[in-house]
Amino acid sequence: MGKKAFKRRVVITGYGMITPSGRNAADTFNSCSQGKSGINHITAFDATGLPCQVAGQVNDKWISDDGFTHRRLLKFSSRGLKLMSIAAREAAFHAELPTVSDRHRIGVQIGSYGEDPSLEEVVWLHQFYDGEGHWDLEGLAREGGYNFLRFYRRKPDMVSAVIARLFDCRGPNLSSTSACAAGAQAIGEAFRIIQDGQCDVMIAGGCESALNLVGLLGFVLLGAVTTRYETPQTASRPFDRKRNGFVLSEGAGALVLEDFEHASHRGAPIQGEILGYGSSSDAYRITDSDPRGDGAILAMGKAISDAGLSPEKIQYINAHGTSTLKNDISETRAIDAVFGPNAKKIPVSSNKSMLGHCIAAAGPIELILTLMGIHRSLILPTINQTHPDPKCDLWLVPNQAVREAHSVAICNSFGFGGQNGCLCIGKPR
Amino acid sequence: MEKVVVTGVGMVTSLGGTPTQTYRALLDGCSGICPISDFDTRGFACRMGAQVPAIDPREVVINPRDARIMGIQGLMLIKASRDAFADANLNRYPVNGESMGLFIGMGMVDYNLDDLLPAVQASLNSDGTINNEAFFSRGYGEIYPLWPLSLLSNMALCQVAIRLGIKGENAVFAAYGDAGAKAIHEGVNTIMEGKAEAVLAGGVSEIISPLSLARNLSLELLNIDRSLNCNACIPFNSEGKGTILGEGCGVMLLESHSSAEKRGARALAEVSGFGSAFERGGEKAWPTTPAVQKAMESSMINAGVDPACVDLIIAHGEGTAGDNNEKDAICRCFSVADRTIDVYASKGALGNLFAASPVVDAILGIQMMENGVVPPAYPDHSTKNPMPFNLICHESLRKRPECILINTRSHQGHCGSLVITACREKRV
Repeated sequence: MGKKAFKRRVVITGYGMITPSGRNAADTFNSCSQGKSGINHITAFDATGLPCQVAGQVNDKWISDDGFTHRRLLKFSSRGLKLMSIAAREAAFHAELPTVSDRHRIGVQIGSYGEDPSLEEVVWLHQFYDGEGHWDLEGLAREGGYNFLRFYRRKPDMVSAVIARLFDCRGPNLSSTSACAAGAQAIGEAFRIIQDGQCDVMIAGGCESALNLVGLLGFVLLGAVTTRYETPQTASRPFDRKRNGFVLSEGAGALVLEDFEHASHRGAPIQGEILGYGSSSDAYRITDSDPRGDGAILAMGKAISDAGLSPEKIQYINAHGTSTLKNDISETRAIDAVFGPNAKKIPVSSNKSMLGHCIAAAGPIELILTLMGIHRSLILPTINQTHPDPKCDLWLVPNQAVREAHSVAICNSFGFGGQNGCLCIGKPR
Repeated sequence: MEKVVVTGVGMVTSLGGTPTQTYRALLDGCSGICPISDFDTRGFACRMGAQVPAIDPREVVINPRDARIMGIQGLMLIKASRDAFADANLNRYPVNGESMGLFIGMGMVDYNLDDLLPAVQASLNSDGTINNEAFFSRGYGEIYPLWPLSLLSNMALCQVAIRLGIKGENAVFAAYGDAGAKAIHEGVNTIMEGKAEAVLAGGVSEIISPLSLARNLSLELLNIDRSLNCNACIPFNSEGKGTILGEGCGVMLLESHSSAEKRGARALAEVSGFGSAFERGGEKAWPTTPAVQKAMESSMINAGVDPACVDLIIAHGEGTAGDNNEKDAICRCFSVADRTIDVYASKGALGNLFAASPVVDAILGIQMMENGVVPPAYPDHSTKNPMPFNLICHESLRKRPECILINTRSHQGHCGSLVITACREKRV
């Protein structure tokens, strides 16, 4: 494997998303620029009894209106995959993807998990299982058997495979599964695949839909979601002293990444450039992030140096900012360590204050919002900042968007278990 | 040009807890495939598998309390990673954790019904439906609070990072052979770009469970011919009878040639090429012949070798009809070389290890380079299967391969190939 004398430049030629705040990128950005929250009471399932009853749900109508008409694929599709196909369609449309003639040079890398097992499924299955390793499979078959489509929906490679089929992409195809950093790591890996010349174009992104009893219950058991809030809209409050956990959300974000020369040659609309990527692991504890923020420091430092920049060139930080007690302190410490005396002067905001935590989709959605902010010279706010936490004393762009020209930013994503990814983006150089 | 070499390996399969044990057993014609013993398989159309014997958490220095959320996948990965570390002598000559990377291809992580069953049983109405109030007042408390972690595909990687202090570049890919090959490739790239001094790269299989057995049966991947017993997985069989699930894990320690030299480490082989492609063929989800061919050709171009240099192929050969596409792709790639290429496949003895397959195959390839013997793909002498290439079956072949091409694929259309070459000077 030959070391490249120079790395190819990677630009963004299309993007799309679907979030609790909007059916596409423009709607989501507009909602966020007004500081509106997309969080509401859960209606997707009966959450009675759960200590957290708020979430960021995507409007069902936006999905049914979409006209995802590939009936056969629809049967195999989890809700996450449907969201992903909507986001990818928007991205592919803007990037004029159908005009790329060599489909072997288009790859797909998506951060996604399969569908969670549902409680109904477990209740159904338990009738045929004695708890000691013995199954009544004949009984199961008599009662209609297990819906085999669920197997497909649970497979983590389904999303990247189906997106490749829908958009006729025959190049490298991969799924990233690094928890909350999966989307960011998928984009980072796709960036490197193009840099290396393995292909010219990649659809990269992430999707998530865990708004079901088992999905939310998991995060409740881990003590990660908020359980004390006054209204749904004020439940997610990253860096605020009254924060006590994140709000689970669903959504998808997709980018079309492309070799600069390739994009220029076909006259594709160049929206921005991925300048650098860094990943790291905390190697601390499986349930907690490193309180010193060492992993985050490493990821940010690597992304900035990969971009060939120094920290003082960074004009905006899109924080991971989950609204959990520990993450927001350790991220503040990490930003302090990387940016030194400048740390308090750089605008830092968390889109999760408005969108909640879209887990594997968070990285791509936040990267796109950052890019849109660069284009519009607008820095999105961190809402619900009413009780400043002295331990999170950054310029958090509180409650209202700020109009400020900026051209280079970093986006943080830190995954459960300690996997981190940081992307550095900017206007095309 | 800086080479990336393998300086340590670790491997767990149904045939042994080390690469040497597995390799020796393969030379002896052993098969790890046998009747599944971990659970009652009555009612399942396929009852065979190549299972890894239980790993005692204490053997890999894990507190049994922590092992509760790890599962066999985590324990296998920790064991293989520790072994690769020790094999590369990193215990004595450590590399800074921030300069170490970790890339893993992770097989499908299934949930275990037993983890949720007590909660369900404590919350049922008399009509069999769930009582929400009972669930939240009683049932819910029956679930182990860290249970959700067992569903996350990145937990095994994070556990290794914690145990070995690896803080550098990392990623986890899912869930089939292409993911394991990509993990190795990404490790090589990371070193080449100077982003890490050393990288642990590996793959972990699925765990054989009622759910995985049911899933793979419903995908019509498994051989349900129960008369074949331990010979149930026959690579390149003409009928495409089906594959057999295996458990296992392979990990290799990669570093730059100069780093190995500086540490006085042994270079086992060079990872020299990678290629991948994606294209589903028709109703069945195997990658098409052109896709497999594309991956093989790309890997050879990437390695800077032409087909005449490749002296052994370790094929994916899993026993399904998808092997036909691989067979055709091999013929197309090697028809210009004017010779009959030697082909080996490990799945006849180890079962289908999915994401672990290409890594285990690469480690077996290194053993063949070192020992000069290629084991038989299927030891059973009664299996007759004429092939357009020299599929090494029945007897082992005395041969010291210098350049090995390794194929792998998923059941959705993904395929990948790796090229490894022997290092001439063993101690660099």
